[in-house]
Amino acid sequence: MTLIKDRLESVLKKVQKPARYLGNEWNAVHKEHHKTAVKMAFAFPDLYEVGMSNQGLKILYESVNAHNNLLMERVFAPAVDMEAEMRKQNLPLFSLESATPLAEFDLIGFSLQYELSYTNVLNMLDLAGLPLFSSERNDNDPLVIGGGPCSFNPEPLAPFFDLFILGESEEALPALLLNLAAYKESGRNRRDMLKRFSAMAGVYVPDFFDPLYNESGVLERVKKNDSTVPARVVKNTVSNLDGAPYPTAPVVPYIQTVHDRAVVELFRGCARGCRFCQAGYIFRPVRRRSPEKIISIAKDLTAATGYDELSLSSLSSSDYPQVDELIKEIDQALRGDKVRCSLPSLRLDSYSVELADRLHQGRRSSLTFAPEAATERLRKVIKKNISEDDIYTALSDAVAAGWQGFKLYFMIGLPTETNEDVEAIVTMCRDIRDRYRGRVRGTLKLSVSVATFVPKANTPFQWEPQLSFQEIIERQQILIDGFRKIQGIDLSWHDAETSFLEAVFARGDRRLALLLEKAWRLGCRLDGWSEHFSFDLWQQAFKETGINGEAYANRRFSYDDCLPWDHLDCGTDKEYFIREHKLAYSCQDDGGSN
Amino acid sequence: MVRIGFLFSRTGHLAYLSHLDMLRLFIRALRRADLNLAFSQGFNPHPRLTLALPLPLGVTASNEPGEVYFDGVVTSETFKSEIEKQLPEGLQIIKAVPIEPDAPALAALVEAAMYRAELRSFSDLSLENRDPGKLIQNSLEMLLQKEEILASRTGKKKKISYLNVRPYIIEAESELTPGGLAVLKLLLKAGSRGGVSPVFLLDQLALESGFPSLRAVCWNLHRESIYYQDGDTLQPLSERM
Ligand code: SF4
Repeated sequence: MTLIKDRLESVLKKVQKPARYLGNEWNAVHKEHHKTAVKMAFAFPDLYEVGMSNQGLKILYESVNAHNNLLMERVFAPAVDMEAEMRKQNLPLFSLESATPLAEFDLIGFSLQYELSYTNVLNMLDLAGLPLFSSERNDNDPLVIGGGPCSFNPEPLAPFFDLFILGESEEALPALLLNLAAYKESGRNRRDMLKRFSAMAGVYVPDFFDPLYNESGVLERVKKNDSTVPARVVKNTVSNLDGAPYPTAPVVPYIQTVHDRAVVELFRGCARGCRFCQAGYIFRPVRRRSPEKIISIAKDLTAATGYDELSLSSLSSSDYPQVDELIKEIDQALRGDKVRCSLPSLRLDSYSVELADRLHQGRRSSLTFAPEAATERLRKVIKKNISEDDIYTALSDAVAAGWQGFKLYFMIGLPTETNEDVEAIVTMCRDIRDRYRGRVRGTLKLSVSVATFVPKANTPFQWEPQLSFQEIIERQQILIDGFRKIQGIDLSWHDAETSFLEAVFARGDRRLALLLEKAWRLGCRLDGWSEHFSFDLWQQAFKETGINGEAYANRRFSYDDCLPWDHLDCGTDKEYFIREHKLAYSCQDDGGSN
Repeated sequence: MVRIGFLFSRTGHLAYLSHLDMLRLFIRALRRADLNLAFSQGFNPHPRLTLALPLPLGVTASNEPGEVYFDGVVTSETFKSEIEKQLPEGLQIIKAVPIEPDAPALAALVEAAMYRAELRSFSDLSLENRDPGKLIQNSLEMLLQKEEILASRTGKKKKISYLNVRPYIIEAESELTPGGLAVLKLLLKAGSRGGVSPVFLLDQLALESGFPSLRAVCWNLHRESIYYQDGDTLQPLSERM
């Protein structure tokens, strides 16, 4: 077979955005394969533009490639036209840096960021020429591993994977790969190796755990089948961010990506504890990077990439202590480089507006806020503790400072929500429009985006059902009707179909692997892209596998139920979640003391 | 303010960058080189860098002019040596020269461009045993005999209009390589006063030949030179630099 590199030319000519597949971007790492002990392909199961915006990828690329005898190369889900050409020309999925077929790596690691990318995982394994199920792969095939937020409930994917790493991997992944290097020398079989790995912190080998169901098909418990492996897998946490590897010279894409900028992470974790928010729990505890470290990273980053924008990222940026001081110092340090700083994930309060104001000298386009719920009662239930006063004060400040547009994020289907709460979204937005319409310089731009609540593993709301399909549609209709009567507001909402699938997989068990395989065989992929998503195919997959999606998405689990992820430890115990869950129901009228 | 003109070549996989990708790449390279780029005035200042004529995606080139402004003192030698360290393999600066501040913008001088198109391989095309060289020669003759070759453009409000691009073909000839492959040389009008894309013409040629599968993706396209009008003749812009 001729080298992929030579055959690539004719493929690149025929596809859209061929620069997605080149692999020689600035700062890309090219190592000699024959001189490297362990070779890993980092597989991001979505298009290049999305994957290259993921900070986890950049962190792991840095932490692995920093080791002399390890190498990591990247691969993304090919777009539909590329996949068609590859299949036509029998071109296996290859890594970008060296155009090496994926099957030739020692290990393929998938980043599991959202449920709708699962069919892409299967598609990529298939394009790599590998059997989908780990039980069908042999000792010469690469190990297939997963990490990222979805590995806190990886059960629907378990049969396809050899292992998952729970939690933060910038230290755990290189350790695992070095372990693999030692293993390769000794040459024992795969099961031995997996046993060895499962002794490592945060490593979950699903093969050593069997889910047991009762006659009515309810999960009773997950039982380990090997006496030597630990009964619970505890997530990895980086203890000291200043000491952890951080990419100061990340790959700079040729094409425009979703987040096309330098990123310095201020802190990890979020202490706010919003009850729907998985990130808030799985990234606990809060750990800060020191201002000195942040500034030195900021300088190195802009020098090594040439980016003109620096994002000061975290889950809730205004919570960094003395962030205003920090911004001043970064400004000072980057003086003359014409670098814009941006602060994503701002809280809806005056302090945040002040920060944004400092950052946006010059043009003021729009500010993004996420009140999530429009009534004070419901905000208390979800523990989004901002008052109506906070909201209007912040907006007034922003308008006074010259902002003309706002993006507001809400959610429907939150626990205890009623039609009144949904109508309140309409009322609140109308109020905002009426108040500020005359006060901004040009026209007030207001856009409102409404997602549907998806109950997630490892949150206080993990037992809650998602709204039924019918109810989602009905509540969206309230919004559509309400906003139709208000001019000048842009309303967008998430499709009920995709939210439903997210809920199915977010709390799914191992039996869903068959559904996933069926859906992929029927042609589902790139489900996160509305132009490729087909709910009809998914419905067919449910029907043909006899799996009832509602039993996953719309069921209220009880505290006594065994949850498919009970053997995985996210660092917060179930008792805490139960307490928080009960508080959600009792706090509604207690004056907000929670 | 210092104004520097440069010539660059683009080879290999870098052909797969769009014009916007190229601008982004040059600007980031210049920023990394830490050369005190000059910025435009206004709310949204932009680095003052222009490439004389956008290079279509998929096209390699050997003599592409561009120009850039700096604040403060930067010599063309420093510019060349510093930016070269920041460019990926496949982009090369051939030459850099100072340009008079009041000389016209390079982009405004562009009048025409010379392309070389090489049929890459026709083994996977079914040409029904026709000799590819002859086939292409004949099709080109037929195409050139037309008085009108209509290209559609999508204008404002998605309105489609048609334009006769035949007058934009200044010269077109075909040759056979010793290996029996066809090579086309196309001298086409280009720039702000109107022009035609070589990709469009190759697609038209494929239609003319009766073998639509011969379309532009089967060709390696290379831009050899960009021309400006000097009295009655066209002169390579690279020679002004
Ligand atoms: S929603 Fe935002 S503020 Fe609330 S816990 Fe999650 S990250 Fe923190």
